[in-house]
Amino acid sequence: MTTSLPADEPAAGPAAPARLVLEAADLVKRFAGRCVVDQVSLRCQGGEVLGLLGANGAGKTTTLRMCYGFLEPDAGSIRIAGLDRIAQPDGAARLVGVCTQDETFDTDFSVSDNLLRFSRYFRPRPAGLEERVAELLARFDLARYADAKPDTLSGGYRRRLMIARALVHRPRLLFLDEPTTGLDPQARVAVWELVDQLRREGLAIVLTTHYMDEAERLSDRLLVLREGRVVAEGTPRSVLGDVVGEHVVVLSGRDPAAAAVREWVREEGLGDPAEVLGTWHVALDGPRLARFSERFPGLRFEVRTPTLDDLFLRLARRP
Amino acid sequence: MTGRYLAAFHWQSRAVLGRHLAVYLRNWHTAALPPILEPIILLLAFGVGLGTYISEIQWRGQPLSYLAYLAPGMLAYTAFMTAFFQALFAAYIRMHYQKTWEGQLTTQVRLEHVVWGEALWAATLGTAYSLIVTLVLAGFGVAGWLDLHWGWALLALPLLFLASLAFATLGLLFTAVVPSIDHMNIPFFLVIMPLGFASSTYFPMETGSPWALVWLTLNPLHHLAEGVRILLVTGDLNLHLVAAAALFLLMILVLVPVDFRLLRRRVLGEG
Repeated sequence: MTTSLPADEPAAGPAAPARLVLEAADLVKRFAGRCVVDQVSLRCQGGEVLGLLGANGAGKTTTLRMCYGFLEPDAGSIRIAGLDRIAQPDGAARLVGVCTQDETFDTDFSVSDNLLRFSRYFRPRPAGLEERVAELLARFDLARYADAKPDTLSGGYRRRLMIARALVHRPRLLFLDEPTTGLDPQARVAVWELVDQLRREGLAIVLTTHYMDEAERLSDRLLVLREGRVVAEGTPRSVLGDVVGEHVVVLSGRDPAAAAVREWVREEGLGDPAEVLGTWHVALDGPRLARFSERFPGLRFEVRTPTLDDLFLRLARRP
Repeated sequence: MTGRYLAAFHWQSRAVLGRHLAVYLRNWHTAALPPILEPIILLLAFGVGLGTYISEIQWRGQPLSYLAYLAPGMLAYTAFMTAFFQALFAAYIRMHYQKTWEGQLTTQVRLEHVVWGEALWAATLGTAYSLIVTLVLAGFGVAGWLDLHWGWALLALPLLFLASLAFATLGLLFTAVVPSIDHMNIPFFLVIMPLGFASSTYFPMETGSPWALVWLTLNPLHHLAEGVRILLVTGDLNLHLVAAAALFLLMILVLVPVDFRLLRRRVLGEG
């Protein structure tokens, strides 16, 4: 079953660009004097998935929370389909659906009552609510659990309920904060497919994740955060090229030449090699790879294309 | 500033209140037992049991049966205890463990609506429990054990609602500051026990001491208990009712902005 999502939302503001749903500019947030989000800007249009990447504490969730109205930014502006998030909070919030990192469904109500009850937090009220709930239960494969309490469901189905609940009022923009954390591989793939369907139906989606494969598969564009600042932005491939490099050389950290390799990497201004379980991963561009091969002709190593794991390893190191 | 108070009348606050009411109505048969059983037990234990030893007390210079003294005090105590407890324990559980607040805050509901929804629900429950207690006490009246002006009890209900709302804002203050649920015994022993008992609810407090006079003059629960008692015993509208209403209004005016500020810090991490 498919559904048309942006059916009964309030009219967008007059200044809204054709399909730009989220436009946040120069967001700043401080907690106890510490700047946790610093001049972050992000945009997302209908039918697009924007992935927010970064290590723990990079500012992903805080950025998301400002965009969906849980937190107020100390500086910057947020527009949802042209509506000012601060000046028109009710109108903007009506267009937004949120699936938080923590499960926040109401354990006092059944699965279907969770959807019904949640819809009462929106005005104008969603049209055809009974049909909408039945449609979401069917679509998210929750119909057989309609009368069950949410805490009796498996992790994958609880996550489905969270996403279904975020869609009950037919939003135009969906925020997913680490939507598959803690799920088994099968449940993760099921969530990926749901997200992909929603994208194809024209929903704008902003997601945060720790899983590199998830970010790579789902995101049309990535925004990489580090210590509250944007360090890279673009398609997954372009971000990798900008931040990591074109190639990654993998060698054993126990190789007799390892010390010389470390020295060479430092001389090239690349810091220390990233180390994972005794293997070293060194990101290099084309010319450096050529020089590396000339410098260590007898060394056993392999060359692979960079992944978002390399990006994370790179970001985890101090600049 | 006035927006903080006006938020009580927004549809979002009613939506939050409606959610709590819906949960309660699912369990009404068990949830209604405490306000029915508590006054019966207390009246039997203190009124009938202890009352046989202190059948009459001196109240406002006149003799009054202990049961007649106790009944209006229980009404005031019920409004106070129910609202405070609901705004403290139940709201804390929804905020911290069930994460109900976090879910609501991802919608068009904002923190001021969540807070007002909690306060209004605690006030509604406090008033409803007071009404149930009134009916139980009226049953004692029908049985011939209590001779009070029951018709005036209905007049006291708006004041009991105001009292419940004021004590709910006090409960939410502690919800905002207690470090964990293990620390709930601090407001229990610092507020519920001393305020609940030393407020002319279960025994007269007029000792002649200047300190007691100051305590009673500033104590809204004392004015509520004494005002309702005069109303039910003599049928007279009295200044204690006015003093109680004024003090409860003052509590609400002062505590609501403080609650918002502290809960904003606790829930949103914002100072």
